[in-house]
Amino acid sequence: MSEPLDALERRIAELRAEVRRAVKARDTSLARLLRADLRRAERAWDEAVVTEESAESGESGGRGRAEGPGSAEGPEGAGPLPREAGAALMPIREQVHQALLLLGVPTAAKLVVAVNEAFFAGGLRSPQLSSLRRDEERSFRSDPYARPYYLCAALTDRLSPARGLLAASTWPLEARVVGPLSPRVDFLTAATRIAEHLARLAEPPPGAVRLLSRMAQNIPGAVEGGFGPVDPATVVGAARAELEVHLPADTAQRAEVAARAGDQLTDVERLFGAAALSTLRGAC
Amino acid sequence: MSRLDDLRGPVPARAHDARAIAALAANPGCARRSLLDAAGVDKDAAARHVGFPAPFGQSQFAITRGNVFESLVKENGCAELLRLLRELMGLPIEQVGYRDVESVGSHLRASHTRALIDRAARESEDSAVFYDHPLLSLRIAGHTSYLEPDVVAFRLGGRFHIVEIKSFSVIDGQAEPEKVAAAARQAAVYVLALRALLEELGHDPELVSHDVVLVCPENFANRPVASLVDVRRQLAVLRRQLARMTRVDRLLEGLPEGLTFSLEPDADGVPTRSAGELAEALRRVPARYAPDCLAACDLCMFCRDEARGCGSTDLLGRQVRDQLGGVSGMDEALGLAEGVREPGEGQEEISRLLRLADRLHRECVA
Repeated sequence: MSEPLDALERRIAELRAEVRRAVKARDTSLARLLRADLRRAERAWDEAVVTEESAESGESGGRGRAEGPGSAEGPEGAGPLPREAGAALMPIREQVHQALLLLGVPTAAKLVVAVNEAFFAGGLRSPQLSSLRRDEERSFRSDPYARPYYLCAALTDRLSPARGLLAASTWPLEARVVGPLSPRVDFLTAATRIAEHLARLAEPPPGAVRLLSRMAQNIPGAVEGGFGPVDPATVVGAARAELEVHLPADTAQRAEVAARAGDQLTDVERLFGAAALSTLRGAC
Repeated sequence: MSRLDDLRGPVPARAHDARAIAALAANPGCARRSLLDAAGVDKDAAARHVGFPAPFGQSQFAITRGNVFESLVKENGCAELLRLLRELMGLPIEQVGYRDVESVGSHLRASHTRALIDRAARESEDSAVFYDHPLLSLRIAGHTSYLEPDVVAFRLGGRFHIVEIKSFSVIDGQAEPEKVAAAARQAAVYVLALRALLEELGHDPELVSHDVVLVCPENFANRPVASLVDVRRQLAVLRRQLARMTRVDRLLEGLPEGLTFSLEPDADGVPTRSAGELAEALRRVPARYAPDCLAACDLCMFCRDEARGCGSTDLLGRQVRDQLGGVSGMDEALGLAEGVREPGEGQEEISRLLRLADRLHRECVA
């Protein structure tokens, strides 16, 4: 029963840390966004704690408001909670992971946000993802393998982290390295995955259909004409046809880079890229 | 070169970007601009200091719009661009390689670009199609300028193509000619730099096509469309202009000793020299103002004010100025037109024309 509360508390603590970091980095716009999230989470915590207490009907006397994580700043006005908050309260990293699992390939933040918007809770914003990789790396360095998965970098053929791409640490190394053909292969794969997922849904969300239609414009033979909604099956067919052309070369290139990465890199580097360039990672 | 450093003063030279280099070609006859550019003086700061800030500079909205459109064209490994090139130039399906030069970190971009271009030119079999975020360099008047083309595309008919992504729209197959011309001038700078690079690496500079791929939004939507623009003319103008710049010695000869445009800042970052002194120094070098300068030069307002002050015919545009060849200023031209001034030797022709114009004007107004 207290699981959502625990999750909320964790989320609130995370948000506080992020706000502090954003303020330190003088990123006022991000800090403002995060503060709004924080306030919303605190309000949700207030609501959840009240409903839990009424459910438990005062068995234990209940936890006082003063103990709550919201006590430091206090909620400003107890207005009704916007409903989207329920889903958006998942930590950002979990939302990103969800989107990555659907796509199954190293993905740029923009597409992660689009997929999250189309299929899941929505409300992710690209600036929130910018520091994600760095945070994950810090967490991994201080306490390796403590989390079930990490959001990590894709590796280029120089074994440096690829710019702007997010990947999941649970994927095999071959899936996390990128060669020159990989952006196209990954794009086609992502389109296929989205189309397959759409075909599985009884009521495909209109946002997702739009996303797929936009992607299909750039796949030869995937669009029958015009800008209308596309047929997922056609997209899958067209994308597979082009994939067949690129896949053998790409797989070979990726295997070669992955073998090199496996030989040369340490655990941290295998996830987050070669250390020689780590000082520059702030630029990503 | 030390003379140029004196002119600039003890501040770092300002690097030229592609826009600035392209603007050079716009007014080749202006000694003031040539000199300031050759010395690497920060013209914008100079103009602001003497009280004539340039009225332009890109609006933040335009910059954001440009960046958003560029990222749209480039996202997912240049997926949009790939479609455009397949349609426009018949790029074969199997050619999809994409390399992000920036993945090595920004301090290595120039050398990495060099290495990648060298490899592409050497063994065209195994090369990528797109080189994203390349960094080219061009020597201009002794200083190295770094240039960032949007994308360099290879494998289109075995040649390199510069891809220029612009956010002005092409409506019904037509775009504003001035904007296309500006984009072509800018792309020509990149072509020149890339050719210089290939030549340096010992390859045929003609591997770089003189056709650049211009990508713009189509009609009123955000969907990109590509077209080929021939920049041979712009290239020729640019080359001539850059060759002139390396011959600044001639300009330097006529300058008074001790002339400087130094903007050396004090502790608060305010230039130590007074605005008056700087303006005086600027006036010592002749400018050639034309109304077009308003679109291309940071010092335009200063020069315009100067031209107004002395009633110069430059204000009327190049065509009129050239017609008023032997007439020294506006006062004289008006005097000739109204007949209060006797035409001097060689001015008979122009004075007759001016009188005629004056009569026509009176008839129209009356």
